[in-house]
Amino acid sequence: MKKNLLLISILILFSLSPFLTSNNFLIRFLTDILIFSILASSWNIIGGYTGYASFGNVVFFGIGAYSTSILMSNTGLGFFVSMILGGIIAALFALLMGLPILRLKGHYFAIATLGVAEAIKALVQNLNITEGNSGIYLPPPEMSVDGIYTFFFYVTLIVLALLLFLTSIIFKNKFGYNLKAIRENEDSANSMGINTTIYKSAAFSLSGFFSGLAGGIYAFQQGFIKPEPVFNVLITIKMIVMSVFGGLGSLFGPLIGAFTIETISEFLSSYFLVAHTLFLGIVIILMILFAPKGMLDIFINIRKKGLSYFRKNIEEHRV
Amino acid sequence: MEKDPVILSAKGLTKKFGGLTAVNNISFELKRGEILGLIGPNGSGKTTLVNLLAGNLRSAGGEIYFNGISIKGLPPYRIGRIGVARTFQIVKPFPGMTVLENIAVGAMNGRSGKKRTIKKAFSIAEEVLEFTGLSNDSGSLAENLSVASRKKLEMAKTLAMDPEVIFFDEVMAGLNHKEIDRSTEIIQKIRERGISVLMIEHVMRAIRSITDRIFVLHHGNKIAEGTPEQVLNDSEVIKAYLGKRYEQLIK
Amino acid sequence: MTLQILINGILKGGLYGLMALGMSLIWGVMNIINIAHGAFIMIGAYITFLLFNFTGIDPFVSLIFSSSIMFLIGYTIQRGIINLVIRAEIFITLILAFGIEIFINNAALMIFSADVRKVKVSYGASNFNMFGVTIPYVRLIAFLLAIAITIILFFFMTRTKSGRAIRATSQDLDGAVLSGVRVSRIYAITFGIGTALAGAAGTLWAIIFPLSPTMGGSLTLKSFVVTIIGGLGTMLGPVIGGLTLGIVESFGTNWFGTTFESLISFSILVIILIFRPKGILGKGKE
Repeated sequence: MKKNLLLISILILFSLSPFLTSNNFLIRFLTDILIFSILASSWNIIGGYTGYASFGNVVFFGIGAYSTSILMSNTGLGFFVSMILGGIIAALFALLMGLPILRLKGHYFAIATLGVAEAIKALVQNLNITEGNSGIYLPPPEMSVDGIYTFFFYVTLIVLALLLFLTSIIFKNKFGYNLKAIRENEDSANSMGINTTIYKSAAFSLSGFFSGLAGGIYAFQQGFIKPEPVFNVLITIKMIVMSVFGGLGSLFGPLIGAFTIETISEFLSSYFLVAHTLFLGIVIILMILFAPKGMLDIFINIRKKGLSYFRKNIEEHRV
Repeated sequence: MEKDPVILSAKGLTKKFGGLTAVNNISFELKRGEILGLIGPNGSGKTTLVNLLAGNLRSAGGEIYFNGISIKGLPPYRIGRIGVARTFQIVKPFPGMTVLENIAVGAMNGRSGKKRTIKKAFSIAEEVLEFTGLSNDSGSLAENLSVASRKKLEMAKTLAMDPEVIFFDEVMAGLNHKEIDRSTEIIQKIRERGISVLMIEHVMRAIRSITDRIFVLHHGNKIAEGTPEQVLNDSEVIKAYLGKRYEQLIK
Repeated sequence: MTLQILINGILKGGLYGLMALGMSLIWGVMNIINIAHGAFIMIGAYITFLLFNFTGIDPFVSLIFSSSIMFLIGYTIQRGIINLVIRAEIFITLILAFGIEIFINNAALMIFSADVRKVKVSYGASNFNMFGVTIPYVRLIAFLLAIAITIILFFFMTRTKSGRAIRATSQDLDGAVLSGVRVSRIYAITFGIGTALAGAAGTLWAIIFPLSPTMGGSLTLKSFVVTIIGGLGTMLGPVIGGLTLGIVESFGTNWFGTTFESLISFSILVIILIFRPKGILGKGKE
């Protein structure tokens, strides 16, 4: 309870930050953290709680971004309607792709999701409606410069709050328990009367819906999108790394992960213009080696076991 | 209307793997409130038969009826929901969840899951916990349980599903005498609740003391059926399955 | 014309098969999907490029260098890094391999810049005609070498002690441990061979196609496609998979245009995974 209180007060403080600083660069950076928090929390629903490690979740982000862009620039729909439609399209795509692919397990599921994401990227690069590799411009928001930064910060914050609220309710209820049961042992879950296909598809769609919303926000914020950056596999990798780093299958874990990884990335890219991605690679390698169970696990156990925690972790997983 | 005395039956059930016939033309009836034993040497097709009955294996010949309705070809979750529960020979707990949560998942799903709120499901799980003697392990993760407790958890999960029929697949294997007696007692009490039981078991002490009838599989064929007395003294059964070891066991 | 497209597909397919051979070996033996595979191919290609530009070593000769250097790199990476988490959940090793790939790609970008390079050998353009089909010598030689390397690996796996130990480990880990096989060493050798094969594929690639530090990503994905088509656990799998992908891609790009190349291969990947997850040669479904 104490821990939750602390977290909630941090979140409140965080949500007031546009009033505490007039530094637009900082607000933009915090918005990026929020976008990645949405993405990582969405990944956590299918990868963390349900146990299906998707390596293609960026496809929902991309579909959300493209749907929003196309709707806004071609049909004249407003941002919010377009964003929500973008989320719904991403969710439907998740459902459609999930039905055949969620039957696969482990590596095969990982590769299939990766393959779908790459295939959709290639398709977007070749379609007329998406304007191929030349990209799409979105109508700019009609606001003051400072207003724009605050606007995106709060839109993202609201979507994240909604996602966290939904997730916390779901995982206190049957839906959440059944997803965990599927993760822990799918055969047993099935025999106990859980329609695993429906539950997995629902989890995947939910994951897709919120990733799609994040994509819509991103597109409108950028004002211009191209296939390569919005379908970049590195975004999926970041979602996974953030979830793992923060602690899989926990509500606030992905947020902690997003905050840490984005801060490290930002720090690296401001000090090493060219090499920052290289360092990101090193961070990922070190994190997997030393903290495969996430940061919370380290904090809990390092007090009890000291440095032997790391040795034990490695002993457990090596041959 | 009088209820059909037979709750579950199979007619001419046959399953082939490649050229091997694992289950050959098996028919049997499970009566309401009965404990039916299923025995046979390793590889005789017992688990295959249960997998067919519970929907874990499909595309077989023959028919399966539950309460007079054909359930052959239904997926496991549908069979679980209409009131047929099973345990797994190699136990399949939800290792990262607590024992109470493991059981509660059964209570949320199964036959009566739709009618139960989450709170109700947990209170039923508490009851089942008590009933199976797992109360002390309530909060521990299933992965940390002893072998005996894991077997009990396997039973508890099925019980929470509020089933009419349970298949127990070797829930006593690997237990010591005291634990076997305890599990025997639990199964006895399960029957007293009106649940019909089909149990695969190698522990003869248990089979002999609680089953009403037994049938024997050998190479996928049913070679004997009857009361424990009849079957366990049947010369063909002794020859096929129990061999010399049986005489030692009796002593 | 059709025959020309078919031959082009077959020649490229042989190379695809060699590319996937290493990935399929590592995947089959230690259940790791090496996302960094394409990055290793890229290193092999750059070794060949550097040797040719600075010492004038013929790219076909540099096969020996690229594969032995890559063996050492692979052996070390497995021993020092991957082995530490090999028993963790599968996506952990996947992410680790991604980390390695990001590191290698960006290191290469810093060293070589994003420029596209080419190994310009004097005989690069010579070709011959047969039944109205034009066949460049380098492509034919690369194809034959790819097949030869596959055959050598086959003999290594079936006739040598190390090869048998690798196969035993992949079939029955516990049994292999009981019979005294040092698994960590076997895994490191396997990974080394896998990366050596990637290095060799990189060399042959560099002789025929241009190279850049970011070429690895798409080659990793193509290696997946080939591995999935062929299925795990056989030597013939990658060859069949490679030829299939080569031919389909060749005809596909001829009909739809070259921009559709990756769409075609990923569509094959997804379709095969859905309908025959164990590959064309694999038996039954997952």
